[in-house]
Amino acid sequence: MTRLRRLCLLALVFAAGCLDHTTGTTPHASCSLTASGGSLGSPTIPVIGCGLVGSRYTAEVAVLDTTAYTTTWGFRTAPGNMLAVWNVKGNEPELVDSVIVSGATTLGDVAVSDDGKLLIVATERTNGSLVVFDLTNPRHPVQLSRLATQNTYNGVHTAEVGRIAGNLYAVLAIDALSGAPTPESKVVIVDLADPAHPREVFIKSIPSTAPFVHDTFLRDGLLFVALWNAGIEIWDVGGGGQGGTASAPAVIGSVATIGGDAHNIWWLHDAVSGSRYAFVGEESGPAQIGVSSAGDIHVLDVSDLTHPREVAFYHVAGAGTHNFSVDETKGILYAAYYNAGVRALDVRGDLETCTPGQQVTTGNITRCDLAAMGREIGQGLDGGGGGAGGTPAVYVWGVELSGGSLYASDMLNGLWKLQTVQ
Amino acid sequence: MLVMTLLVTFVAEPSRAQESAIALGGGASAIALLTNATGTPQGRTLTEAYLTQPIVSAHLRAGWFHATGMLNFEGLTLRRGELDLGEWGEGYVDRRHPHAYVHELMIGAESPGGPLAASVFAGRGFVPFGSDDPMARPFVSFPVDHHLAQILERLVVVAALRGGPIVAEAATFNGDEPLDPSTPPLARRFGDSWSLRGTLFGPAGTELAASYANVKSPEFREGQGLDQRKTHLDLRVTGTSGPFTRYALVEAARTTDIDRGRPLYAFDAFLGEAAVCRGDAGIAARWERSDRPEEERLLDLFRSARPATDLSILGVTQWTTLSAALSLPLVAVAEAHAAPFIEVAHITADRTTAAVFDPVQFYGTRSMWRLSAGVRFGVGHGHDRMGRYGAADGLPVSSVGPDAHERHSTSRHRCFS
Repeated sequence: MTRLRRLCLLALVFAAGCLDHTTGTTPHASCSLTASGGSLGSPTIPVIGCGLVGSRYTAEVAVLDTTAYTTTWGFRTAPGNMLAVWNVKGNEPELVDSVIVSGATTLGDVAVSDDGKLLIVATERTNGSLVVFDLTNPRHPVQLSRLATQNTYNGVHTAEVGRIAGNLYAVLAIDALSGAPTPESKVVIVDLADPAHPREVFIKSIPSTAPFVHDTFLRDGLLFVALWNAGIEIWDVGGGGQGGTASAPAVIGSVATIGGDAHNIWWLHDAVSGSRYAFVGEESGPAQIGVSSAGDIHVLDVSDLTHPREVAFYHVAGAGTHNFSVDETKGILYAAYYNAGVRALDVRGDLETCTPGQQVTTGNITRCDLAAMGREIGQGLDGGGGGAGGTPAVYVWGVELSGGSLYASDMLNGLWKLQTVQ
Repeated sequence: MLVMTLLVTFVAEPSRAQESAIALGGGASAIALLTNATGTPQGRTLTEAYLTQPIVSAHLRAGWFHATGMLNFEGLTLRRGELDLGEWGEGYVDRRHPHAYVHELMIGAESPGGPLAASVFAGRGFVPFGSDDPMARPFVSFPVDHHLAQILERLVVVAALRGGPIVAEAATFNGDEPLDPSTPPLARRFGDSWSLRGTLFGPAGTELAASYANVKSPEFREGQGLDQRKTHLDLRVTGTSGPFTRYALVEAARTTDIDRGRPLYAFDAFLGEAAVCRGDAGIAARWERSDRPEEERLLDLFRSARPATDLSILGVTQWTTLSAALSLPLVAVAEAHAAPFIEVAHITADRTTAAVFDPVQFYGTRSMWRLSAGVRFGVGHGHDRMGRYGAADGLPVSSVGPDAHERHSTSRHRCFS
């Protein structure tokens, strides 16, 4: 055990002693999970190890080979301005470095470029920015640049990185901020061809009917944009055949997901299902961070990109989903599920054909219930099923598949390393 | 118009209420305040001094025509907010926000007194909802429930009808709360919110009021944030017996956050306060238990951004405060006066769920103290009450006897004011 881990554990034990036991918060100082007694509906996803973070709330996770990066959120005993760097080669993630980003209260998102050379981090709230790191030494990121403009001022909620026509871009989801010079939420596309000098090439304000954008998904020249109450839009940014580019996207399709609160998207490229489905995470309420959440996974048939339609959903009672990572080789979607840990869904094949008993009709839309169809194939970090509150309590923000393992960032505890569903 | 009225008021003759058809009055006041608070964010004990509630007010009555206005200069003296653990609103947390420079500017018409009276007022001011503004009550420190029990500084049209002991008020206004002291309300949002209040005036200076408000997106100025449904019930008693004046208020309030018609969170408040004065000196006590939503803080831990990025909150804390105040005899020179005071409060903050905001972690304790001392300075005569206009501002003196609240009085005691 390293000195750092000993210190972390000592700090956690000390902190645990100060917690109010009457409120249900359970102290812990190890990676062991104890179920609450509830019955699991599907096999448990075993834990391999964990890296504890007690001073800050952990946010998103990104993994590059044997190095993982986690960001931090809000204020615990210190502000959410730390990027943590982990060695995840062994079973237990080991903290090997950390970077403090000045002027930030939250680093809500982190992503690694496909060539492994760049790491981007989104900062919130006011004076929001995009910070670009050089990963020449992956264990010790070095800041290359920081983009902070009037367009990012409200706060950068998420930052995705991907290629359009071979060139590297970041897509930023900008917060709304009452009274700001431009108070509305925005999508900003940033050219990272020269990462030392990132350049905004497109800015679009989100219509008031949305009124927020929380996340995007970029693939094959198509940009999927999660527009909260307005559902999603699909933009041609170079691959949709409608003449769209990174600097002049063209909207080619949209759909209002049931319930709204569309937060994040994954467009599935499955060896069997093809590119037929997109999955949308609904980040609904009421939700009290650390203890409760709400919101389903919505399945869209996007085989006709101009007319996407909702065909299925997945619901967990008492919990809501957040970010996804998909094993497209095996057709398994892993979803962060806040207080319910991690859920694994079999998303291979036809998801929109089901028996009447597996159907739910909302308004004039009939959808298949993936849970009723037996598509749930794993639960992790739940400790008892359905967010029933095992030990320790978890609040899982994000998941990332890498190197045959699943990594889960947990706001309350830090970074978990789990096995994948076989 | 307000500025001209104020100039006329103070250059000509402070605090003048004439028996003629035209009555012009006004005043100015401010409070020099020294506050010491334990258990502020990160466990610090802070001592701060500032000029709080610096206001200039005026009112004009000419027959059926009324105008009333108040300038508040806290934007100059209190930009960082007044240290007040538990207090929240308008992006401030654990500090009371500075009020708008144009705190109130209302003009209106009121029918002549009698058993049946009506009035219509319009301008920027108080929405008929909840209890009187804390500035017109005994304690300098605002209660935690300020944003649950009052709606103010809105573009509002208020109609009031009084029949016998019953007053009914209805209003429409803009839902957006002030961004800062100088930014005016969004005119295009006028009319997106409404409220109703009914008041029954009883014997011996009692009044029972119930109100309801439907407020659109108060925290997201552009109009796409969560809405609020607000309810409030209060019993208020005022009276005078010889050299003694008495005041008491008991109120309950609930605000529910609404997302596209769907209730998300409810926050409750219960408050009781009372004051007894002999002449210009008095004592007061207040007990309060109010809920507060916890939201993500900024680098300045006394601030939060509006709106939140999603529908989640960090938890709900319950603030229980027991306060006492002593107002000492004032020193008066002509129309000017100064009155020392002292306030002490014991505050506890408790989690209501296991959500991440933990007062013990954030403040280092769940039990805090606040000790304040200062001097109220004033000249002329300001508002007796804040939040009621025209026919809703109490009953005519002749209809309720000598113990009743005196409308537009110029001879009342200056205890706690």
